[in-house]
Amino acid sequence: MMGLERALIELLLRFVTHDALNAFLRSPQHTASLVGCLIAICGALLGTFLLLRGLSLTSDAISHTVLLGIVLAFMLMTGAGLEGDTSSPWLIVGAAAAGVGTVVLTETLHRSGLVRQDAALGLAFPLLFAIAVILVSRFVDDVHLDDDAVLVGEIGLAWANTNSHCFEHCESLRITPEHPAAQQMRQCVNCRELTISPRDERAEFREVCGNCGVYTPAQAWSAGLLDEAPTLVFFPKSITVMLVLTALTVGFVAVFYKELKLTTFDAALAKSLGFRPAALTYALMILVSLVAVGAFDAVGSILVIAFFIIPPAAAYLLTDRLSGMLLLSPVIGGAGAFFGYDLARGWLFGMLPVAEGIAALNAIFGLQLREAWDSSISASVVLTMFVLFVLVWILSPRYGLVVSAVRRANSRRRFDDQVVLAHIHNHQGTPSHAIELRAATLHQHFRWTPQKMNRVLMRLRALGFVSQEAGSAILTQRGDAHVHAFRKQLLVAHNIPDIDPTQP
Amino acid sequence: MAERRVWAMIAALLALGVLLVPLSQALFGLRLTYTVRVVALGGSLLGALSGAVGCFAVLRRESLLGDALSHAALPGVAVGFLLAGRQLGALLVGAGIASWLGLRLVAAILRTTRIKQDAALGIVLASFFAAGIALLTYIQSLPEASQAGLDSFIFGQAAAIIASDIALLGAVGLAVTLVLALLWKEFKLITFDAEFASAGGLRGGLIDALLSTLIVVTIVLGLQLAGVILMVGMLIAPAIAARQWTHSLEQMVVLAAALGAFAGGSGAVISALDSDIPTGPMIIVVAFALVALSITLAPGRGVLWRQLRQRENRRHFRSRRLETGA
Repeated sequence: MMGLERALIELLLRFVTHDALNAFLRSPQHTASLVGCLIAICGALLGTFLLLRGLSLTSDAISHTVLLGIVLAFMLMTGAGLEGDTSSPWLIVGAAAAGVGTVVLTETLHRSGLVRQDAALGLAFPLLFAIAVILVSRFVDDVHLDDDAVLVGEIGLAWANTNSHCFEHCESLRITPEHPAAQQMRQCVNCRELTISPRDERAEFREVCGNCGVYTPAQAWSAGLLDEAPTLVFFPKSITVMLVLTALTVGFVAVFYKELKLTTFDAALAKSLGFRPAALTYALMILVSLVAVGAFDAVGSILVIAFFIIPPAAAYLLTDRLSGMLLLSPVIGGAGAFFGYDLARGWLFGMLPVAEGIAALNAIFGLQLREAWDSSISASVVLTMFVLFVLVWILSPRYGLVVSAVRRANSRRRFDDQVVLAHIHNHQGTPSHAIELRAATLHQHFRWTPQKMNRVLMRLRALGFVSQEAGSAILTQRGDAHVHAFRKQLLVAHNIPDIDPTQP
Repeated sequence: MAERRVWAMIAALLALGVLLVPLSQALFGLRLTYTVRVVALGGSLLGALSGAVGCFAVLRRESLLGDALSHAALPGVAVGFLLAGRQLGALLVGAGIASWLGLRLVAAILRTTRIKQDAALGIVLASFFAAGIALLTYIQSLPEASQAGLDSFIFGQAAAIIASDIALLGAVGLAVTLVLALLWKEFKLITFDAEFASAGGLRGGLIDALLSTLIVVTIVLGLQLAGVILMVGMLIAPAIAARQWTHSLEQMVVLAAALGAFAGGSGAVISALDSDIPTGPMIIVVAFALVALSITLAPGRGVLWRQLRQRENRRHFRSRRLETGA
């Protein structure tokens, strides 16, 4: 991991100076946005397949039970006397195992034939989460697995948890008693033994070195032991973790794109062609677990499901192609992560201030709420994604509410037109002509209001399909042709042989 | 036969539940303090209520709706706190409204888009929960108001239950039972054949909304004890366990209520034995143990039963083959 990080920084240092890099990474906003975007990319790519397979809520279950894996691995590690740290590989293994365990438990319950899929999921993850909570409160004390960490994570603090890398003037310093910078101190050898003060005349002394030991370059520089500042880069650990996970996810999707596509849309065909859909599903679930545990520090175990579900759902309303979804949903998720930081600081999309909204609420309802808005970053990211989803839901050019409403109104109008044209066509030239087609009473035959009838007739007249003759509506030549064309179209569409009813 | 068996089971469960307290007093040295009594009573009342209501959620294939709705209640709790301060009534009303809005949003997404139920539930769950968290952080930043206790809605805090909460639970439980009894026929019809129900002239939408409201009310009441994350387990585990024992809705609802009450009460008692065991999660573990028992042992349907029958069949088949072969 460290080597990887170092290689990455070396690459970056070709383009920017180390001061600029440090300044960039030390900004909480930059690091939080970057980590958020990376989580969003992983979540969106994997979530697309979950959504299309109808497994979206499996990510919910997995993100909950990942907690159990983390707790179990943590207990094992403390049992073995190892230092517990949420980026330790053992925790990741535990979390992945827990994720797979959830899927196995759900599948077992479901395959018993006694419990439905959704119920099995609803049974499995509260149980595993409950066990995790019991274990935490029963056996694990003073861990940072507290409520806040589980719920919202600490993406705002991601910049502070860094590995330092040194590139120039990197002598790690060893100060020995002979070193010019060594500070000699006198230490009383027998004071404690005799319980006397160092001023007592019986006290014996020896010379010791107060600051001897090995210094890393960073420590040596801050202790003022170096003449020249070492070139140090402080790289946040979360960025590395998420970069690795992003590379894994993108690689997985790129390598198995064809297989994923096939098993997602036609698992039976995939199986008969010799692929193994189950293996691929488990691989997918392992990746979901890994991302969930990687994101655990940053966004907690509940909000992470938004990264898996909301961007793919929004992309699903924009495109019909799998490749389109895989491109759009990371963009939507990334935008959410980027603008989410602004929302946490009180600006929706950098334009609408939340404070004014609160002020308006205060004015309307006579409340005294504080107007300064400063909120959880991860929750704000999720809210921003939701706002984006709602925007897509309303405005999508393909499936949006607006377009659908317009489309519905159009087809209703077309239907009205056809009904009126067909009515006129049926009665024109028959004995009932005068009764059925009289313009003043035409609306009664459709049980419409006269206003609606007028609107439809006006439209048909403007199209040149209908004209008025002796108080009756009749078809023009164009209208007649239109009716026949429509009839033909219907017959073809429904595969009915064309028989002219007027011929015996 | 099957009828009598289930009723006997319900009676045995209730008797066992009642006996549990003196038993654990004698065996494990349980100290029956006021808190333990209140929590155990609250747990069993809530278990009974959510068990009964959960049957409909499970049978309508909406098991995970409970999960989404309980998460969706959180912003309501926060808004209730902002508007009215720390009054349980305001918090619960807020939770109910938010949860109900979440329900409508799920329905709207399902009606107007091609997104399927699982994703729709996920969207509502995550975004409402995020709104709740955002509001809670905002409340935390307010100088005068400490958000003390609002966290307990997330993980549940059984120890916070007081006698007046029990009265509330009891009253709502009675009301829910009354509604169930009055509209039994309608609920049954809409659960098993919603299309037939609306064809038969039933106001499907209204009954559907009423049934969902019952679920929302149950969830809101359960939040304090079980918390938003575990509430779904409270709702569906007793129902799934009860489903294994019977094919009749009447028996299933009563049995689920009894199982829920048993899980709630005994979970509370077990957690009282050790101060480090939280109540809500313990109730869930007991409820799941009941599910596991039911899935294995239930006559006719259970895993063990099926295996026995399979062996019987095999033996029968073998003997038949010997007969014809001879």
